[in-house]
Amino acid sequence: MMDANEREVYRAAIHGDREAFEMIIRTQSRPLFAIAYGILQNREEAEDAVQDALVKAWKSRWRVRDPEKFPAWLCMIARHRARDVFRKRQAVSISQIPESAERETTDPTSLDRHLHAALAQLPELHRAALSLRYFEEMDYATIENRLGLSNGSLRGILGRALASMRKQLKPALAAEQP
Amino acid sequence: MTIHDEIDNYLAADLHNELSNEERNGLYVHLVDCAECRRIHQKTKNMNKALEEKFETEKPDPAFESRMLAHFRNRAPLRRGKIATCIVDLIRLRATQIAAVAALLLALIQVGRMITGERLIEPNRYAYAKDESQFPARDEKKRTLLENSASSKPMSGGKETDQISGGLRSRGDFAAAPAAPPAPATGIRQDISRPTKAAQTKSAQPQEMTEERTIVTGSDIPTAEEVGPNPEATPASNAALANRKLIRNAMVDLEVLSFDQAVQEITAFASEEKGYVATTSSEKQENGKLKGEIVVKVLPENLDRFLHKIRGLGELKNQTLGTEDITKNYFDTEARLKNARMMEQRLIDMVKRKSDDINDLLQVEKELGRVREEIEKMQGELKFWDSQVQFATVTISLAEKDLEEAAKYLLKEHAQLALYTPEVEKVYNDLKALASPKVQITNAQLDRDNSGRMSARVSMLIAPEESDGVVAKAKAMGRVENFQVQTQRITQGGEGMSENATTKRDKVELNITISRDEQEQAFQQTTLRIRTSAVDEKTKKLRELAEKQSGRVRNSSFSRDPEGREYANVSLRVPMKNYNALLQSLGSLGKVENVSVERQDRIGGQIDEANAPADLSIQVYSQGNVVSSDTGLFATLRRTIGQSAAAIMWSLRMIGVAIAFLAPWIIAIVGGVWLVRRIRSRRS
Repeated sequence: MMDANEREVYRAAIHGDREAFEMIIRTQSRPLFAIAYGILQNREEAEDAVQDALVKAWKSRWRVRDPEKFPAWLCMIARHRARDVFRKRQAVSISQIPESAERETTDPTSLDRHLHAALAQLPELHRAALSLRYFEEMDYATIENRLGLSNGSLRGILGRALASMRKQLKPALAAEQP
Repeated sequence: MTIHDEIDNYLAADLHNELSNEERNGLYVHLVDCAECRRIHQKTKNMNKALEEKFETEKPDPAFESRMLAHFRNRAPLRRGKIATCIVDLIRLRATQIAAVAALLLALIQVGRMITGERLIEPNRYAYAKDESQFPARDEKKRTLLENSASSKPMSGGKETDQISGGLRSRGDFAAAPAAPPAPATGIRQDISRPTKAAQTKSAQPQEMTEERTIVTGSDIPTAEEVGPNPEATPASNAALANRKLIRNAMVDLEVLSFDQAVQEITAFASEEKGYVATTSSEKQENGKLKGEIVVKVLPENLDRFLHKIRGLGELKNQTLGTEDITKNYFDTEARLKNARMMEQRLIDMVKRKSDDINDLLQVEKELGRVREEIEKMQGELKFWDSQVQFATVTISLAEKDLEEAAKYLLKEHAQLALYTPEVEKVYNDLKALASPKVQITNAQLDRDNSGRMSARVSMLIAPEESDGVVAKAKAMGRVENFQVQTQRITQGGEGMSENATTKRDKVELNITISRDEQEQAFQQTTLRIRTSAVDEKTKKLRELAEKQSGRVRNSSFSRDPEGREYANVSLRVPMKNYNALLQSLGSLGKVENVSVERQDRIGGQIDEANAPADLSIQVYSQGNVVSSDTGLFATLRRTIGQSAAAIMWSLRMIGVAIAFLAPWIIAIVGGVWLVRRIRSRRS
């Protein structure tokens, strides 16, 4: 599953090797961003969430015993962090949402706006899986591993996610496609 | 599940290139068939494209990683010192954490132990404190002992001790004198002696010295040179001593081999030491040993030497040495005597002047008589004191060795006789008829209780020469169940063993108990069973057999149980001589089973074995029904079901017990695990 080289890097990181950890940041920050973005639907916030998650991971790296589980653990931290941010955003003020929505409406295409809205309707896990797939073009098995899903369950998740989006976007797509 | 039902999943997987070849072929075959799925396929493809476009625009820029890194470097603290990180890493190790928790627990236990342990130790401490408070007292006692031994030294012997003490005294150092007085007055005496000690070193006035001595030696046994003049003593103390009037007494207890020889030797010693034997008294003991008392008067200065000599005569049991200081009384009396003499002289003068008045003359004569009487009394007193002071009194108690030896022995016999007889009253009267001057009946008693049982007791005192004959006669009157003789040797006039003492036989005390032979315990007890078909008939026959052998049926019973078995229990008593014949004749009644014989041999008792009673308890029984209600198919089934029900109930109970034991643990462990998980998820 994980080659020896990679495992050695993770092991070193767990034992406090900073360079190894920076190496992990280089390789893993994009999947993390994908997850965070999937949940938050906002690039700046997602970046912040990833940064926080990385710092937190560095501080509590000693909690992971098994190097194999390190990437999944990183993803979990990122998800929790993103979810926290998401909740805070909802709690802080309702007035900000229309504003950002307005900003969204100024986006060029209406399809894009519809897509955004449709994505927002999906459950959080579905969004994270979708973004991992479309950002990183990861294969299903890796995504399942990162998100802590059982083997083969991702196909159903993505199928349902796409179907529900399709239903929502029917009018927009019809408009797009002459 | 057909592809049609899961078309969404298949389409998504197809777009994401995650279908296996087989699945892909299946999907395409289906798409050809199903128009609806073809439509969905088209739509999904469109949406996938839209999504890809959308995410393409949102993809992080190439500088994303370096931004992340920079941010991380800013925020994550750089490594501290090597040791610090090492420590931090160590702390984060699970093993370290477990060890820390364990250490904490241990520390808590230790603290608890210290707290409780403190309380345990405290009482001990108090005990020690108490002991310490006792120590001074003990020390004082010890010191007293030392002092006593020091003060007793002079008489046992060394004159050196006396010289030392004398020398020390001359320097005025009283506190350190070995003849320091005993404990009870220690504190007070020291208080007194200290101030005077200072005064004494400055001015060694003889008078003060005397006072000091009186205090110090008040309760002490004075040594020889305090009484008589001693060339070694310094002039100052000598002058003081010369004026002292001291009466010395000694008491010695000695054990000697021969009283007369000891008296002779003591007389010789007394004349050697310029003394004399004042009184002698002796007393002869029953065993021929002598004891007595000798009072010897010797010069006080020779007392110690004399005592030392006496000790050689025998074993010293006890010795007391006492001194009485009568200086003050003596000089008081002397002064009063002087006054009285002057008074007498004046009265004589008055008589000489010859007054005319006869009344005056009578008065003066009367007064003169009184004064003279007083003078005589005082003179006598002084003389007595003089004699006491002049000679020391030694009272010697002498006792010959083995004074307590027995003089003679008395042999006392107690005999106990238990008789069994069919006619208690007759034997009782016969025994009473034995009475004569040499056989005295001290107690006779005949009892009859409610159930008609009789017993009698006769006690008699028999002269030694008659005793054997009387005992033999008494034994012949019935069956002897028990005969015991107890002989006791009583010492007279002393105790312990003696080779010369004579032994005398005393009167014999005989106690006889007479009981009816019914009450007698059987000499031999036999139980047996006889199986027969006709119980009733055989029982009758058994009675006949017993009577033939001069046996008596004591009790019998008959019973029949639900299974139809009949039992007849018969208890018999026959004389031992007929026992075997009866037992053999029993064979004719039926099958004899389970014979058990129990015999009580009485050790030491002389018994008439042929006439001794033997008990037989015989059970005659029949077989009864063959199958009892306890056996058979239904009874067995019933029992089996009952037992299995009981077993099920029992195992249920055990399961309940097991649950009760385990449940708290399971609850605790599950709760703990849940808590740990909860905390962990909170932290991350």
